Amino acid sequence: MNDTKPLENPLKDIDQIIHAPARLRILMMLYVVESLDYVFLKNQTGLSWGNLATHLGKLEDAGYITVIKGYQGKKPQSQIQLTTSGRNAFRNYKNTFQQILDDLPE
Amino acid sequence: METTSLKNLERNMFRDSIQDGILDIQLGLMLLMFVLPIYINPYLGDFWSSVVFLPLWFAIILGFRAYRKKVVQPRVGTIQYGKYRKKRLKRLNIIILVVNLAAFGIGILSFFQAKVLPGWAVSARFSIIMLVGFSLAGYMLEFPRIYLYGVLISAAPIIGEYLYQNHGFSHHGFPVTFGVLSAAITINGLVILLRLLRKYPPHEHEDLE
Repeated sequence: MNDTKPLENPLKDIDQIIHAPARLRILMMLYVVESLDYVFLKNQTGLSWGNLATHLGKLEDAGYITVIKGYQGKKPQSQIQLTTSGRNAFRNYKNTFQQILDDLPE
Repeated sequence: METTSLKNLERNMFRDSIQDGILDIQLGLMLLMFVLPIYINPYLGDFWSSVVFLPLWFAIILGFRAYRKKVVQPRVGTIQYGKYRKKRLKRLNIIILVVNLAAFGIGILSFFQAKVLPGWAVSARFSIIMLVGFSLAGYMLEFPRIYLYGVLISAAPIIGEYLYQNHGFSHHGFPVTFGVLSAAITINGLVILLRLLRKYPPHEHEDLE
């Protein structure tokens, strides 16, 4: 961490798509699992269906997540997965944010 | 700091995905295998009173698996675990297999040595294998309650033997100790399940699908 270059404009380097608390939480959850479904995500985040749809839409548009459509019997049960670029973006976000915090004076 | 937090998040998500009480209910009902055959014994004989429990236990497992799939999962949601968790679960399966084989071997050995071994020795063997098995399962699942179950299940045959030798309880005290334990664990599981069903009502319509 110490040998990294100081950021020119730290706040500008932060990925704004990830930076929203709800989306950050969604990405954190997807980062540690292979995939999960809407119901699990809704229960864990406490978001309403509408909010969840909006945030997932933004993450999907950015190419950070992918929705794999599937069925459990006759009921639709899609799984949400982090894409490789989503994983990389989350890692970059984590490193950038950590560097910003490390650079702060005591 | 970040790594620890992500680890905690993963662990909590894993716990939430399996913390439905069904595991407890299954374990509680499994413990009845130490109680009910004793009472069926006079009608079916030694061998069949034990054998009849295998399909029954299998039916219980399948029944609860179906219940989880049809009732619990639509409310709680489903999750596919990451590499770390899959690796731990794979190790747990190996541990369960080894512990079961060891328990089976010790059971056979104890059966043939039953007349020469004191009652304490058979109970102690069983207790040790249960304590080791449940401790490893608790560690692999990162589920503190399983340690407690391990201690209680390990203590049951020893307490039972004490009751048998000092207070004249029948069948090495198994009907009392395992009966009480089975009821306690099953009730605990039912309470967890009912709380979960109240906390997560069924989703009438999933708008996102």
